[in-house]
Amino acid sequence: MNSVGVYITGMGIASSLGIGIPAHHDALKKNSSGIKPLSLFPASPGNNFPTGEIPGLGEAVDLPRTHTLAITAAREALAGRDIIPDAIIIGTTTGGMPRTEVLLKNGEKDSGPYRYHSTSSVAEYCADVFRCEGLVITVTTACSSGTAAIILAFELLRSGRARRVLAGGADALCRLTYYGFNSLQLIDPAGSRPLDRSRRGMTVAEGSAMLLLEAAESRPVGAIAEILGGGLSCDAYHPAAPHPQGDGALAAMKSAIGNAGISASDIEYINLHGTGTLDNDLAEARAVRALFGDAIPPLSSVKGATGHSLAAAGAIEAVISSIVIGEGLIPANTGCVEPDPELKLKPVLQPLHKKISTVLSNSFGFGGNNACLVLSKPGAARERPALQHSFRFEVLGSTCITGAGDMDTTLRNLQVGKSCRGALPLADISKKLPAREVRRLKRLPRIVLSMAMEARELAGAGITISSIFFGTGLGPLSETGDFLSKLFESNEQFVSPTDFVGSVHNAPAGQAAIWLKATGANITATGGDYSFEQALYAASLTAAYGEVLLLMGADEHHDTLSPLFDGSVRASREHSDGGGALCLRAAESPAGIGMAPLFFGNARVNSSAVDSLVQSLGGPERINASYAALFAGIPAGERSAGDKQLHEFLNISAFTGPVIDYRSFIGEFPSASAAAAAIAARLAREGAIPEALAGGTECSLGGKGILLLGLGSFITAIEITAGPL
Amino acid sequence: MEELIVELKEKIIDALDLIDITPDDFKEDDRLVGGTIGIDSIDILELAMMIDREYGVKIDNKELGQKVFATLITLAEHIIKNRKG
Repeated sequence: MNSVGVYITGMGIASSLGIGIPAHHDALKKNSSGIKPLSLFPASPGNNFPTGEIPGLGEAVDLPRTHTLAITAAREALAGRDIIPDAIIIGTTTGGMPRTEVLLKNGEKDSGPYRYHSTSSVAEYCADVFRCEGLVITVTTACSSGTAAIILAFELLRSGRARRVLAGGADALCRLTYYGFNSLQLIDPAGSRPLDRSRRGMTVAEGSAMLLLEAAESRPVGAIAEILGGGLSCDAYHPAAPHPQGDGALAAMKSAIGNAGISASDIEYINLHGTGTLDNDLAEARAVRALFGDAIPPLSSVKGATGHSLAAAGAIEAVISSIVIGEGLIPANTGCVEPDPELKLKPVLQPLHKKISTVLSNSFGFGGNNACLVLSKPGAARERPALQHSFRFEVLGSTCITGAGDMDTTLRNLQVGKSCRGALPLADISKKLPAREVRRLKRLPRIVLSMAMEARELAGAGITISSIFFGTGLGPLSETGDFLSKLFESNEQFVSPTDFVGSVHNAPAGQAAIWLKATGANITATGGDYSFEQALYAASLTAAYGEVLLLMGADEHHDTLSPLFDGSVRASREHSDGGGALCLRAAESPAGIGMAPLFFGNARVNSSAVDSLVQSLGGPERINASYAALFAGIPAGERSAGDKQLHEFLNISAFTGPVIDYRSFIGEFPSASAAAAAIAARLAREGAIPEALAGGTECSLGGKGILLLGLGSFITAIEITAGPL
Repeated sequence: MEELIVELKEKIIDALDLIDITPDDFKEDDRLVGGTIGIDSIDILELAMMIDREYGVKIDNKELGQKVFATLITLAEHIIKNRKG
């Protein structure tokens, strides 16, 4: 049993219903809708349909709208409290895109204005503003991002590795999502009417919501609700459509309820994902009926009021679920006049006053990424289930793609001191992939699929991979670039739906899940140069003991976009890409090669982050006793700060083993650390670092491990251990 | 109509990057979706965009799409009936 509870002690929200908690109380009571004609940018002729815009949002000149939304909700969540969060976990899919797309449209060639492009910059900006020194994760699992972020925060708190976490989601409206969803014919021209028999689709919206979550033995003062559990699953079925029977949705709901230590009959209200598309509402209804049978609690979708704010939706609905619990107010299923008889559900059609203790909130997204959350009245006496997840992993196999080729070619090059920088031709990346099945996939998903298939082979026959954790700094740049080029070339008339589906950052991991039939958790982390590290943290927060998972990191080089978005690509003036994949088994005491995330600190706000690192690794003596070699990742864009940090680390730790500056031979791309980790795991298996890498003489590991450091804006540490601890 | 069908075969191969398919692989009255060519629901959306761009004919909802994209013949008939000029 676990005695620690996770409580919501602060909330902030912005949606088309207004800005702030009071505005939402009001709107939900009145059953009003925020869906209105688009005004943020001019729509091209014939493409004008309603959206969920946030009214009256004051925007900063140099900050993208998503960032403004995130900080607005975060300030409300932390209002009046002198609190520095230990960690920040934010879901977003658009990041700086609202600004980037305008810059690209105007042909802006200077990289300066693109500095907030990356999805990671939203959480990083919040971390800087609130002086958060610890773990920062950006979750990008499409429309379930906000809920997935809250689930990771919940697990982080429950594990005792943080006491206070700011978690939520933010997405601003932009052309990419507006025209993208339209190209999929998923927009209801009359505005979203979830569950209605004449519904025609969703309404694209924007929004943000943030929760201050605190771990405590007993109900803290001001607790609004308690989070009891969360569940993640993947349909592993289709890139953009839900499993028709709602299998993935059902698995996530079951997992959330099991994780909470309650049963389905304890749920008193369901906040549906309910987007208003024909397929989503039907699949979700089937899943709800399969789980609850004849005893379906009151339920509604608020997306007919707020619209669908993508990565923000789950966080917004966690706030609304807390209002349901705190105020005894069940929101109406706004927009639904006549429930679709095929769904066999009875949504709440008018706001209803009813005491509710426990709520299930659903979020599903592209890539079949599902996330469900259980919230409850705070302070009730309850038995909380013990932690099920492992922070350590056994490495069953690892592979990589570098400019030189696959793992074997890469190692051969390294053994003779040859560089592996560069970008492998697409034909070489695709050589083991069936041509017809990958015809729609561009560079990044092919890198990912190629590594995923090989990692599975390396793991051995009879092993089933159930979950996938993927880190990518900049996501599918080819699809994103092509989508925007076609949009602007056609005066915003024609786009490619294939490119839109492919442009989603979590598309490659969703594709890998389909190929591997991996129906467990599927998390994509997009934390810039620390994406792979964030994906590993996500794995350590959710993988159950014994579970086999695939951990990957990859990025692609794009001639136009990479230099604009990545300062390290500009600094090196070289084109490199690729990544790494490791097949892992969650195990507290690995029988073979082990792997664990050890440290994640924000060096931009903590000037003694290197000190903190050395301390958290157990001090100089333990560091020298545990590790024979150090792999250091210093992004070229942060070379001087990174060099200084490395020097400081070597000084304080008095580390005497070889230091391998891996970006010098892997090249500059955000997930270079994934390739480095895969190589380090392979070298740990072989027991030695080749002389060309170790600085002249071969370095025998002698049973010791390898320490992987990420340096620059953030400082990260991962250990690869040689055998049983 | 025959000319249009020949043209459509080429435009479909091009729009969907059907690298290992030639125009001769298409049979005019075979079902387009889920048939031997391997066209699925995302491809249909891509084709709807192509038909709008090339012929100015909108196929903007699923129900209509299912009817129009049944076969090459139904597609060609729909374009002939609805194209401007």
